[in-house]
Amino acid sequence: MNRSPSKIEGPGDFIDLLQRSGYAWCPSVNKLESVDTSKLLQGTTVLAFHFNKGVIVAGDRRATAGNAIMYERCDKVIPIDDHSLMAIAGVPATAFEMARILSHNFEYFRRSQLQPLSTEGKIRALSKLLKDNMGLALQGVGAVSPIFSLYDIKEKKASIYFYDMLGAQFEIKTHTATGSGSPVIRGVLEYEDLWGAKPLAKRTLEEATLLAVRLLQTAAQFDSATGQARPEDQIYPIIASITERGYRFFPEDEMADLFEKSMKRN
Amino acid sequence: MFEEPFRWMEAIATRHSYVQEKLKTGQPVLAVPFNEGALILSFTRQPGKIFEVYDRIALGGLGHPADVERLRMTLLDMAHLEGFNRSDKDVTIARLLQFGVAPALKQNFEEIQRAPYLAKLLLVEISFDNRPSFFRLNYDGHWETFKKGAVISGQNEESDWMDKKISKTNFSAMPLDEALREACKIWEAGKKQIPVNKDDPEAEKPTPLSKAFDLFLLEVGVLSTAGGRKSLYRSLTKQETDTLKATYKHK
Repeated sequence: MNRSPSKIEGPGDFIDLLQRSGYAWCPSVNKLESVDTSKLLQGTTVLAFHFNKGVIVAGDRRATAGNAIMYERCDKVIPIDDHSLMAIAGVPATAFEMARILSHNFEYFRRSQLQPLSTEGKIRALSKLLKDNMGLALQGVGAVSPIFSLYDIKEKKASIYFYDMLGAQFEIKTHTATGSGSPVIRGVLEYEDLWGAKPLAKRTLEEATLLAVRLLQTAAQFDSATGQARPEDQIYPIIASITERGYRFFPEDEMADLFEKSMKRN
Repeated sequence: MFEEPFRWMEAIATRHSYVQEKLKTGQPVLAVPFNEGALILSFTRQPGKIFEVYDRIALGGLGHPADVERLRMTLLDMAHLEGFNRSDKDVTIARLLQFGVAPALKQNFEEIQRAPYLAKLLLVEISFDNRPSFFRLNYDGHWETFKKGAVISGQNEESDWMDKKISKTNFSAMPLDEALREACKIWEAGKKQIPVNKDDPEAEKPTPLSKAFDLFLLEVGVLSTAGGRKSLYRSLTKQETDTLKATYKHK
């Protein structure tokens, strides 16, 4: 019998429970047929960087299919558990499903095993999902390139991990960005970190969030698949922080003030 | 052996007596509301009586730890599969009991060739409009629901008295620390309702709260709507436990 690694997990593994209930996370590669990828929702800018109390994670709100703008209120930063967030770039259907599986996986482990899953275990869990998704990624219909940010309470340490579409994980010490608009802002992030007023990791929460808003506006200026903020329609980027106290999303009223402030020259 | 109906009924009655006798020494579990949610507590000799089941559901168990564990895992599996396949809003204790655990437990109890579950469960849920509900599941699959709080105990005198006391106390207006103190007082007074066998020199005497913290481990699960988190459950912090302990040590 063909058993994927996720089928032979130990106790507390939610994917194993799902598979026993008849759920199939992804089809095998040889059963796939080609798909017109221009009709799939994709195109994004999401980013994450360290600030003085943890990590800032941010994303634009636009979902596109080819040249068509499909949705302007897409939440691309998804809470996984109290101390971890996933920012998604790629096909939303796969990314949202991954986030839901991960979220249930972490909570199921914590509740059933009476201890939280280790940081290493959480990082590996996403890697395994991406590896299992390789068939869809290679076919071009389910590619996801996430950024996973979390805070380890025991170690009192915030971490950012960037993943490639096949599941390789890379710890990011300063900043990262992914999605179609990311090339536009990666240079800006590097410049800010090396020669800005202070390194990114020394910035306060307010300084970090102002920069995040500006970066997403910049990406939207050059990438049609990245949505600009539209204050008149109450559409703002989604921004969250992760600190020792867990994640926190900026609510709409705070985002309105933040956006106004960030659009002024210092 | 069971071809006559009487034999079967006798076997069931014996089974009830057997399970009830086994549960007699179990420490009671109380669950009550407070102004921002609900709490579930027990004094226990071994850790492992209070658990989180799902985002808004907590569980307290009484009985054989292995049986409590089997029921807990069944509830966990069902809740997580339902929450994943449908929505967290579809995960309710009533559904988990009515369509899952209760019928299986009843069937198990009435199949007299199989070992019965030596366990009672107390479940607490905070609805999405932030109202607490309390559920008691018996070893034979019978379950009841309560609005003002509930208790499970191996001793009928103790649980009847505690139930009455809980229903007369306005827990839902109290802050967490006050509700906790009141619940502990009910635990202490409830212990005194158990008839003491004066002929048995080794019969256990009721434990006052001033000594309970040394003899037992206090386990408390809190479902609080105040934190703004998806998952409402948390254990009582050491600081909160120490503050509570100090209240009774000074008396």
